[in-house]
Amino acid sequence: MSEEKKQPKVVVSSTPSCPWCSRVKSYLRQRGVRFKEIDVSRDRAAARDMVRRSGQMGVPVLLIGSRPIVGFNKSLIDRLLGLK
Amino acid sequence: MNYDIIIIGGGPAGLTAGIYASRARLKTLLLEKNITGGLAATTDKLENYPGFPDGISGMDLLERMRKQAERFGTEIKEFEEVRDVKPLNKRIEITTVQGKYSALSVIIASGSEPKKLNVPGEEKFRGRGVSYCATCDGPLFGEKDVAVVGCGNSGLQEGEFLLKFVKSVTFVEFLPRMTAEKILQERFQNRKNTRFLLNHKLIRINGGETVSSIVVRDREKGKEEELPVSGVFVYVGFKPNSDFLKDVVKLDTSGFVVTNGKTETSIPGIFAAGDIRSKDVRQVSTAVGEGTLAAIAAEKYIQGG
Repeated sequence: MSEEKKQPKVVVSSTPSCPWCSRVKSYLRQRGVRFKEIDVSRDRAAARDMVRRSGQMGVPVLLIGSRPIVGFNKSLIDRLLGLK
Repeated sequence: MNYDIIIIGGGPAGLTAGIYASRARLKTLLLEKNITGGLAATTDKLENYPGFPDGISGMDLLERMRKQAERFGTEIKEFEEVRDVKPLNKRIEITTVQGKYSALSVIIASGSEPKKLNVPGEEKFRGRGVSYCATCDGPLFGEKDVAVVGCGNSGLQEGEFLLKFVKSVTFVEFLPRMTAEKILQERFQNRKNTRFLLNHKLIRINGGETVSSIVVRDREKGKEEELPVSGVFVYVGFKPNSDFLKDVVKLDTSGFVVTNGKTETSIPGIFAAGDIRSKDVRQVSTAVGEGTLAAIAAEKYIQGG
């Protein structure tokens, strides 16, 4: 991340028991990406919203800007966030 | 880059091999196509792995194994998928999507992934009600009726996890009996909100946007029944991650790597450990044992027998 202000808004929808979710979050932290975290196991409304936006009943789902990414798709995440 | 040992796969077998190889002061690289942890990391709670009387989450245990391998010097590269393995003049060349490596010995620990059902609706509704990871997606099915297909250890364990969230679980098992450990079966005796359909075959998964029902057939009576469910969790066994090994080492008819008791494959210097081996029992504890065997065998091989 060269310029902090350039980073699009990142939201991670996850569940506490999901191994992929914790790895995607630690990856983002490691790369210095700021993100908002939603625990969809606790927040039913957010879970419904995630399913509606991504068409997916599976986690993790990342929202980079308005673009939903299902699963830990590292190359796509890197590309959308301009990470090298 | 040249190494003494290259390990392919970062599950329990690969990480254990890494621990032993590094402690033998061999220059060790572990290549993982995804993130380390493997299938075992998706298990909610491992209760049969010795040393943890109260159980341990798969994620925790595998994270510890990774740290342990790294502590002794195993170099781990994640998101490096191996494309080709080629024995070449006493060395073995490995090609990944990103580059080329070479080693004196290779340990294959690429593991397995959940088998699909191959029924109509499965692909269409994948991520829309069909899941292979209850620990990931289970919490999204709060107060819903779901089905678990397969009554082996994984099916019953994950079904038990799902019951924390869902309204009911219907278990569908192709065989006339459950294959899970008895202790797991006992937990479902007199348990509310569960139903067991043994000797039943799942025929079809129906729905609109997401799953709304499944159709099962009684294999004895031939009768079909439609059950309204919002989720289908599939635990019907494993298939090997061995596409990159065709024409490299001998595979069995299902694609698992054939080895002898010393984890040697058909090619000298290439060993295999864990779920990828052709064998009967696939447990974290056996993977760990085989990772140990393979690393020690590889060390001996490098030293010239």
